[in-house]
Amino acid sequence: MSDLTLEELDQDGAIQEGIAGLYGHSRADFLRKAVVGGGVLMAALSVPPRVEGAASSDVRIFQFALNFEYLQSTFYTETERLGTIAKMAARKALWARTLGAHERAHVAIIKKVLGPAAGKRPFFNFRGNTESEDRFTRTAVAMEDLTTALLTGLTPKLKDQGLTAAAFSLMTVEARHAAWARHLVGVLPVASAFDEPKSLNGVDRIVASTRFISTLRPRTTTSRNPRFTG
Amino acid sequence: MSDSDDLNASAEDGGWRNVGAEAFASRSDVLKRAAAAGGAVVAGGLLIAGLPKVAASARSQEQDVRILNYLLRLEYVMAAFYETAAAEGQLTGEIQQFVSVVGEHERKHIALLLGILGDDADPEPSVDFGPGTSSPSEVGATAHMLEETASAAYIGQGANLTKGVMIDAARITSVEARHAAWIADILQRDPAPAPADPAKSPKQVSAALRRAGVSISD
Repeated sequence: MSDLTLEELDQDGAIQEGIAGLYGHSRADFLRKAVVGGGVLMAALSVPPRVEGAASSDVRIFQFALNFEYLQSTFYTETERLGTIAKMAARKALWARTLGAHERAHVAIIKKVLGPAAGKRPFFNFRGNTESEDRFTRTAVAMEDLTTALLTGLTPKLKDQGLTAAAFSLMTVEARHAAWARHLVGVLPVASAFDEPKSLNGVDRIVASTRFISTLRPRTTTSRNPRFTG
Repeated sequence: MSDSDDLNASAEDGGWRNVGAEAFASRSDVLKRAAAAGGAVVAGGLLIAGLPKVAASARSQEQDVRILNYLLRLEYVMAAFYETAAAEGQLTGEIQQFVSVVGEHERKHIALLLGILGDDADPEPSVDFGPGTSSPSEVGATAHMLEETASAAYIGQGANLTKGVMIDAARITSVEARHAAWIADILQRDPAPAPADPAKSPKQVSAALRRAGVSISD
């Protein structure tokens, strides 16, 4: 593996797995940084495309996707840290840990795609859903189905072809997570022949209703009574 | 008959790096070979002359037709597989449920693609699965290969489609990935092997099917 000399890989280990599935980009300059030499797998590697120069709507879509990946990765990481996953049966723990690793890799990938346009990780409050196995599982199933619907809706809206291709590669992983989660809890992994897309605003409303994210949308206080703090 | 084997045998490995300007060169190369082979590129396989590689090609409605016919052909292969597997595979339990549910999905995908393609749709091919439908374990293994391959094929072509039809392709793509994860979990394999799913070029898709003993003819 000594010919795996992508500087990005060395810099950020979290990307190492994530990048493997992301294939090339229509702009040749991304290929400059691709792995040279190596076997078939190495030949497939390339750095993720970047939003630099992409349409502002593309940037906005990836920024939203990043917040969503922050939400998911923090959810799984917190559940792991609290010891909830360690108490699960082996196959279920594998599922929960795999999803956490993937969502953390997605954060790393999308941050790299966004470059300086990447926002900071918001603050989250999962309101007890990371502490009980049952509540964690139900939240995870809903979250993965929602992410699949989100990416199904957002991907065709992207203008840049390389970013679109990358989004397809992430969308199917979220769909796998959702199917795996549903199978674990004993519901049909594929509820329909088609996944129905959700709009960015639709997903934003659902996420807001969970009150998991504290700082994604700063609220104006003018029409609100001051919060009781005593 | 000069079939897709000729193309595959001499193909450069993978389509993932063949992007941008390289892709156009490769594409015209494919066309040249197609011409050399008497234009019979489709016979016996999946390859359709002028199909773009992965996320590589300028979008057009003409190209949409080629891509959608390629995906339609894959859907026909899967639907035929599940139909044969249900009849011959001696299935019980969850694998039987999988074959029944997923077979129905693939038929709906065919209906959607036929609706988009209209008169431009290619006819249904005949497919032989060798021993792939003969027992529950063969059915499971072949189904897993087919679903992984279909998912990777959609990923490989999704971004090449024009926006109008990309939405429909996206609605199918995630479902193929769900199928792959479901059958993988039934088989105690890895339902989600990577944080980002790899794409497959048409050549890779064609090779994967051939390796699994699936032969397709007009």
